[in-house]
Amino acid sequence: MKKIITLLCVLCPAFLLCPINAWAADGSAEAGVPVWLCIPFAGLLLCIAVMPLLKGEWWDAHKPLVVAGWVLAMVIPFSVIYGVGEMAETVLDCAVNDYVTFIILLFGLFCVSGNITMEGDFAGSPRVNVGLLALGTFLASCIGTTGASMLMVRPVLKMNSWRRRKAHIMIFFIFMVSNMGGILTPIGDPPLLMGFMRGVPFFWSLHLLPVLLFNMVVLLFAFYQVDRRMYRKDIAEGRKPDISRPGTRFRIDGLHNILFLLMIVAAVILSGVLPGLKAFQDSAGNVLGIHIFRDVTFSLPSIIEIVMILAAAALSFKTTPKDIRTRNHFTWGSIQEVAVLFIGIFITMQPALMLLRQVGPGLGLDQPYQLFWATGALSSFLDNTPTYLVFLTTAGAIGFTGGISTSLGTVPVHLLSAISCGAVFMGANTYIGNAPNFMVKSISDENGVPMPSFFGYMLWSLGFLIPLFLLDTLIFFL
Amino acid sequence: MKDNHEKCLELANRIYDLDAKVYDCVGSALGRTFTGNRENTVQNLCMLMLAKPDGHLLRSELALISNMARTIPDKEAKDRMLAEYDSILKEIENLPDSFGKVDILDLTRAELNPTARKKLSENDHLVICISRTQGSAGNDIGFELADELHINYYDVEIFNQVLKRLEAEKGSVDDAETDHFTEFDKYKKKSFRLKTWFREFNRYHGLPRQDAIFFNMSDLICNLARTEDCVIMGRCADSILANNHIPHISLFISAPFTLRVRRIMASKNMDLKQASRFLRQMDRQHKRYYDFYTDGRWGRPESYDLCINSANYGIRETIDLIERMINQKRN
Repeated sequence: MKKIITLLCVLCPAFLLCPINAWAADGSAEAGVPVWLCIPFAGLLLCIAVMPLLKGEWWDAHKPLVVAGWVLAMVIPFSVIYGVGEMAETVLDCAVNDYVTFIILLFGLFCVSGNITMEGDFAGSPRVNVGLLALGTFLASCIGTTGASMLMVRPVLKMNSWRRRKAHIMIFFIFMVSNMGGILTPIGDPPLLMGFMRGVPFFWSLHLLPVLLFNMVVLLFAFYQVDRRMYRKDIAEGRKPDISRPGTRFRIDGLHNILFLLMIVAAVILSGVLPGLKAFQDSAGNVLGIHIFRDVTFSLPSIIEIVMILAAAALSFKTTPKDIRTRNHFTWGSIQEVAVLFIGIFITMQPALMLLRQVGPGLGLDQPYQLFWATGALSSFLDNTPTYLVFLTTAGAIGFTGGISTSLGTVPVHLLSAISCGAVFMGANTYIGNAPNFMVKSISDENGVPMPSFFGYMLWSLGFLIPLFLLDTLIFFL
Repeated sequence: MKDNHEKCLELANRIYDLDAKVYDCVGSALGRTFTGNRENTVQNLCMLMLAKPDGHLLRSELALISNMARTIPDKEAKDRMLAEYDSILKEIENLPDSFGKVDILDLTRAELNPTARKKLSENDHLVICISRTQGSAGNDIGFELADELHINYYDVEIFNQVLKRLEAEKGSVDDAETDHFTEFDKYKKKSFRLKTWFREFNRYHGLPRQDAIFFNMSDLICNLARTEDCVIMGRCADSILANNHIPHISLFISAPFTLRVRRIMASKNMDLKQASRFLRQMDRQHKRYYDFYTDGRWGRPESYDLCINSANYGIRETIDLIERMINQKRN
């Protein structure tokens, strides 16, 4: 604890003494965001990273209080600088338009997938796991990274329950199913949905298939080698699966929940399509909705999305026997944890996003590799959707004449590819880079998998993902 | 030291029971923390407790149980489990720091070695596991040793026969499939056929065929070692029995390469080049197989109780040497 206090004491003055403000050309509220306003966000990330290691039980019990403390540490200075009204608008906008839809989507997928269970005696071996990861990666583009993660996480856990060393399986699961697989369609990952809402054609992302295939081949090869090594060690310790029955039984219970899963996917697609329809716009072209405060409006498409998702979750619960949830070890713990942590992350992240919106266009990034790494590096820690939008706007404003025509301007294909890949792929760099990452970690923690700490996970991503992204840069983005 | 060991055993049993109870309360089907059988798990936990430098491993195993315990819906059961968890944790913290006060003796390994005891108990069977290099007369030594000790001798052919019978007893395996077992050669590479691949994928629960057969063979070897005195040739039997905490003696028999070549030339009618290539290939395959399934090192002295150069003694003297070691000469 002393070390952390010392670290904070060193970091705080450093932040305070560095160039204080990043000035924007316009005179909006975002003008001159002090860098030190990002300290609460950094502090919260630091807590998520180190508190489970230092004071695990205390952290589990007091997480909401710590999150509230960091939110206050951002909100109070923000109010002092910009006024209470501006602060309320910023917080409400982020809570209503970003957080609520985010957590409801996660909640819906969590509930529905928790009602589907796989009964069978497939034994998790390197080749079975490679197959599962490949299947999950493609599935992610059909039902979203969150949907695929929630649907696949339990079967993967179950098949590998006989093994002792399985954390690496869940880590590669996060790399591939929870992140990379989302690259092929706008349903896959929210940034691409935002791109679709801004005029990027629905099937344009399929052009990124070669990048995905390349990444899959490299990662699956690496995974196979690692898993084989761990599998050997497990066998050498005398672990063995129960294969006494000849032939493999395989049954899926609660299969009707696939319908509710599709209902959620439809809700997500509608939330992207409806705002563009005239029927959902007023005479000024603004999206209709419930006005909350100043410019904050809870849009009608979002409300429809939420209602559909909640209805799917409720119907799923109503129509599925409790026994399936029990067998699935369905608990509210992981969704609660994500809900608590991410409300803090979403709110404290706002100054960093404001800063990015100011500084982003002025960075002079116009090469694919620059945009790939800039979008990716920020998506590793910030929400990848606004990051994607900032760099898409930047690319659209450069003034290219050839490429994909969007509402933000014409963006050359190679720049759009770099931004999309950066935003989607590099969410895998940290536990907080993408929502399903934390959910998978949390569910694994509850089911006998010793997942690495925040920094431990980053070592894996540094070891496997960063070299892969360097290869991507050399092959696709130079 | 002995008290400490007993205390650790008791705690390990309690941890195993706690894990089972927690899993039962949760009602999950996704797998518990300790999926191995009680005996092995308890022994492994006990070792973790005795080896203080690895204490963090024990803590992380325990943390997994507590993670699961915290999700128990019934509050009363949850409190009971967590109270037991806390109590175990406190007792572990109070264990005396034994590391550094012992000699080189590995207690768990020593307990598996019947020669370390003056007299075998009635429950302990004499199980001799022999690994050998091709051409070192290991098979001849093993066979004659078994014959002299009047105990059963198992080598690859016998295992294949027994496995075939076991497969047939399971009922749903057709003749074609059982035939494969008799033909099974652990080193042989087969041509790929999609139909066969799917059938085997289903038959062996998604495991590679070689691994599935290894698991079946592991069960067979453990059953044999628990029920009779025997000599087992190869098949990683030493490692399998050590993992299952079954007493045994492990031997490695080898001889200088040139002498082995000479023996192979004589016994298999090969010329020098053929025999040398054959031996190198066999050594490589033995090593690959053993290293893969045991994570050990084939032929390294630390993997065995005794390594013998059969060229120094000949077949007869080697058998005498082994018999003297196990102190079991029966005539």
